[in-house]
Amino acid sequence: MRYWRRRHEGFDLEAELRAGRPEPAPEFTRRLEARVRNDGRSRVGSLRVAFVGALTAVMLLALASVGGVGYASSAAQDAAVSVKRVVTPKDVITVLKRSPAQDQYKKPKAKKVKKAKKKGKAAKGRVRARTRPPFTG
Amino acid sequence: MFRRDPLADPEPLIKRVYAYAAYRLGDGPDAEDVTSETFERALRYRKSYDPRKGEPVAWLLGIAKRVVDGGWSNTEFATEDVDFVDATDLEEEAIRRLTLARAVESLDERDRELIALRYGADLTARQIAELLDVRTNAIEVALHRALGRLRGILGGDEDAEPVRKRGASR
Repeated sequence: MRYWRRRHEGFDLEAELRAGRPEPAPEFTRRLEARVRNDGRSRVGSLRVAFVGALTAVMLLALASVGGVGYASSAAQDAAVSVKRVVTPKDVITVLKRSPAQDQYKKPKAKKVKKAKKKGKAAKGRVRARTRPPFTG
Repeated sequence: MFRRDPLADPEPLIKRVYAYAAYRLGDGPDAEDVTSETFERALRYRKSYDPRKGEPVAWLLGIAKRVVDGGWSNTEFATEDVDFVDATDLEEEAIRRLTLARAVESLDERDRELIALRYGADLTARQIAELLDVRTNAIEVALHRALGRLRGILGGDEDAEPVRKRGASR
């Protein structure tokens, strides 16, 4: 300590203590800082997930209390129907099987076809037509 | 809803905790071990930090103090005489720091703790008083006496405050 006494008479001890404050090695500081920051980051991540979950639950509860959930579901259904209507191809024509016009003007019933005359008579007629002289005007 | 993270900006905190540990235990691996252990405990118990009770650095130094008192308090320094240092071989600044560090190491435990908290961790007398749970005035007086003893060690002052026996204040 004699060296100190020789060289530093009238020095400011408090300033020396502050100036001579030991400092950690930069590598040590970097390593420890990274360790602290990594731990904090993972905590913040899980906190964020928890916060988002809690916020969603609160919003759902608030909506449910004023009937918003039913409203939202019917709106979603309407939206789904609209989307389906848009997406479905339009060239499919739906034919109505029954209509008032069809009820009023029904198809006529098919007439019963008379039974064919006897073969002999018809054959006779044809023969007679052929024997007639041709029409000349 | 969410508390402020006491370890949001770790670098200055690491430096202050290390300076405290180094003034108490000596610059080197022991101080690094104490600093690491302090931050490990701080990470584990960061939920217990209450900003109403003080700044993050005061909270960390409370942990560091427990770490030192719990495991490193019996560490003895190599307090050999530093008169052998040759000024022609080393930079004057380095010699001054080394000499000062040796002088601090030769103080008793209580004085060293006060010096470490005041000049290592840069706490105010009031913060130290809160940390050690004593009155601010008592800390100021104790610091004044510790500085007097340190001056005595450095200057060989016969009238300086006598250095108490190590651990006598405990």
